[in-house]
Amino acid sequence: MFKRLAWLALLACAPLYGADDATLSQLARAPYWLALGHYTPSKVHGWRSYVDDASFFLAADGAHHPERELRATLAALYAPPEQAGQHAQCRYPARARWLEAQLHLTDLPHVQCDEFTQWYKAIAPYSTVLVFPAAYLNSPSSMFGHTLLRIDQAETRTDGTALLSYAINFGAYVQGSDNSVLYAWKGLAGGYPGLFSLVPYQQKLSEYRNLENRDLWEYHLNLTPAETARMVEHVWELRQVRFDYYFFDENCSYRLLELLQIARPGLQLTEQFPLTAIPTDTVKAVQAAGLVDRTDYRPSRERELLARAAPLSTAEQRLAERLAGDTTQLHASAVQALPADRRALVEDTAYRLERYHATGQERDPLRAQRSFELLRAMNVNPPPPLQLERPDRPEDGHPSRTWSAGVGSRDGRAFGEYGLRMAYHDLADNAYGFPLGAQIEILGLKLRQYEGNRWQLQRLDLANIRSLTPRSTLLTPLSWQVGGGLERVPGRHAEPTLATHLNGGAGSSWALGGGTLAYALGTARIEHNNDFAAFASPAVGFDTGLLWRNRLGNLTAEAKGDYFANGEVRRRLALGQQWELSPNLGLRLTAARDFSHLGQARNEVMLEARWYHY
Amino acid sequence: MKRILLGTLFTVASFNAMAQAPGGPNCGWGNLLFEGQRGTPAHFLASTTNGTSGNATFGMTSGTNGCDTSGALTYGGKSWIAMNGMIDELSEDMAKGQGEALTTYAVVLGVKPEDRAYFETVAHQHFTQIFNRPDVTAEDVHNNTLGVMKNDARLAKYSEQA
Repeated sequence: MFKRLAWLALLACAPLYGADDATLSQLARAPYWLALGHYTPSKVHGWRSYVDDASFFLAADGAHHPERELRATLAALYAPPEQAGQHAQCRYPARARWLEAQLHLTDLPHVQCDEFTQWYKAIAPYSTVLVFPAAYLNSPSSMFGHTLLRIDQAETRTDGTALLSYAINFGAYVQGSDNSVLYAWKGLAGGYPGLFSLVPYQQKLSEYRNLENRDLWEYHLNLTPAETARMVEHVWELRQVRFDYYFFDENCSYRLLELLQIARPGLQLTEQFPLTAIPTDTVKAVQAAGLVDRTDYRPSRERELLARAAPLSTAEQRLAERLAGDTTQLHASAVQALPADRRALVEDTAYRLERYHATGQERDPLRAQRSFELLRAMNVNPPPPLQLERPDRPEDGHPSRTWSAGVGSRDGRAFGEYGLRMAYHDLADNAYGFPLGAQIEILGLKLRQYEGNRWQLQRLDLANIRSLTPRSTLLTPLSWQVGGGLERVPGRHAEPTLATHLNGGAGSSWALGGGTLAYALGTARIEHNNDFAAFASPAVGFDTGLLWRNRLGNLTAEAKGDYFANGEVRRRLALGQQWELSPNLGLRLTAARDFSHLGQARNEVMLEARWYHY
Repeated sequence: MKRILLGTLFTVASFNAMAQAPGGPNCGWGNLLFEGQRGTPAHFLASTTNGTSGNATFGMTSGTNGCDTSGALTYGGKSWIAMNGMIDELSEDMAKGQGEALTTYAVVLGVKPEDRAYFETVAHQHFTQIFNRPDVTAEDVHNNTLGVMKNDARLAKYSEQA
């Protein structure tokens, strides 16, 4: 180690190998060099690197000095080749290739990089696919999605062997001893280091399609083999290199955009995301940059199960359910009496249901035996391939941020309301590309201006998440919601009171057909309210309603109530209709009536324009 | 491709004797059919980090869930590592006679493009021979497949070249 440092010190001092000082200074400012070091203009002055790992830099202060890092790299490339795998040419193949080309370095020592060569050969990079696991209804937080890159070989497309490809994933490195709350908090706040990993794509597929039940979208990028190769070489440089990881901005999607900029210098993707990089927004940016050649879609296992069961009658679905739990029924007359093609569908449904329930469980010999029996039955009488219609493209859904402006009246007093929501979607928002019944709102602010120029904070939502997944004959998912923040509630005075609250609920939803969803949840709430004597007042209640996807947009009708331990009863009836004017613009009419034991009932109507914009 | 597959099979075997498979104990051939996926990720938590929750380890050489990628690469295990966890899909595809996992299997076995559809048909017909028990391992499946191919005039050549 000391020897190496001495080398660097020695070499970094003198101008090097024919390249004059000015050339090197100029090169160090080249966008490509800055990209290789993940440099970004520092808030104070100069540069800083997103890489939070001293081992990534060859110069002692390389994290802040692109030029010193460049000089140190250049020196290290000329180090004697005996260090083999640790040699800069092996550790930094992308830097080496670029400097070699820029400075016409013809006299570099020859270094054998076995480890890198082997790694590179196993991946055999040829083309790149951007993979986007889309939202899963029962996990609204997944609505933010995730992105990863798949590196295909030359024959992958013709052979249909994407399952053999590798995936480049950027995620937080979690050592696993933290409790859940801390885990979520640190994930958001940057407490975990982020690392790149290279994993078999097949493994990522089963993670998303089977475990999390998320659809996957695969965007084949038009990067050339050389561009893909350059990117993969750089990923090798990032092996076990720690970045800071922040959920909203310095996340997987941001890092992947950086990689794409390495692949094709001149792409300007990251600069579009100074504040947040929500995966769908980044997918949109990649689309807009003209990078996408072709899009493939892989439905989740759950969607496949439901699609397979869709043509079956309720009786047939119940039969499939029985069959999944007891394969001796295969020979029962109810099954055998079915026409061969219906039987195949029932058996396939039963198999898929059985595997669905097995997900996340330890291997159970009885369950395995049942699955095996079903496979044997299908082997004799195979079902037709499953044809699934492609859902709306998630990247064509509305952008993540919302600005709103409305006018309304509360008990005859007119007001204007202005809002900004950082992310992302509520039950009534423009629906294209979003599942009905999913809501995730993060950091929503609403201000009101009443007559006489009186301004009021109307609400501040930290998070507001709802997941209304309909029950069916085969599946009985839980519907749930959770939220917290500040909101105005009816109270002792004509003026509504600002209360701090945390609430949650659980129950069921049902799809009624025709784009209609009904839900009923039991709820609990804890509230800090100056109208109450206690610092925090608990309540239980209900929340029930109807969603209807109609030609104008989504209609919402809701009745809810909170019964406080201190005697206050607060109920609310609300009706809303969204009118989708364009993909990024909506108009919403809402009417509500609030009841409270503390005062008289109040009416409110509002007409609001909502502009979705990133 | 075939050579790589068999080569890795042997390395697996010899490495197993040393008590740990390359790629880690939960990775690779030897997995049972219907072994199931480990752990249920807490969706919200997982989404805040975009890692899988719990046992997720990131970084190229420390590997993730089950498979240590550097190990796999050291052992040239592209095909080998890809079959890990694919055995369930393969069994389903073979029972039904078509699917991506079955196609991939044909490619991994070195079956030429012109023979792949035929291979899929033969594998489908001999499903109960290849997947002969509910607790069959991936290694059994491979051996059984070679057995079936050996008895087929058109596919025999793929079972012999090693």
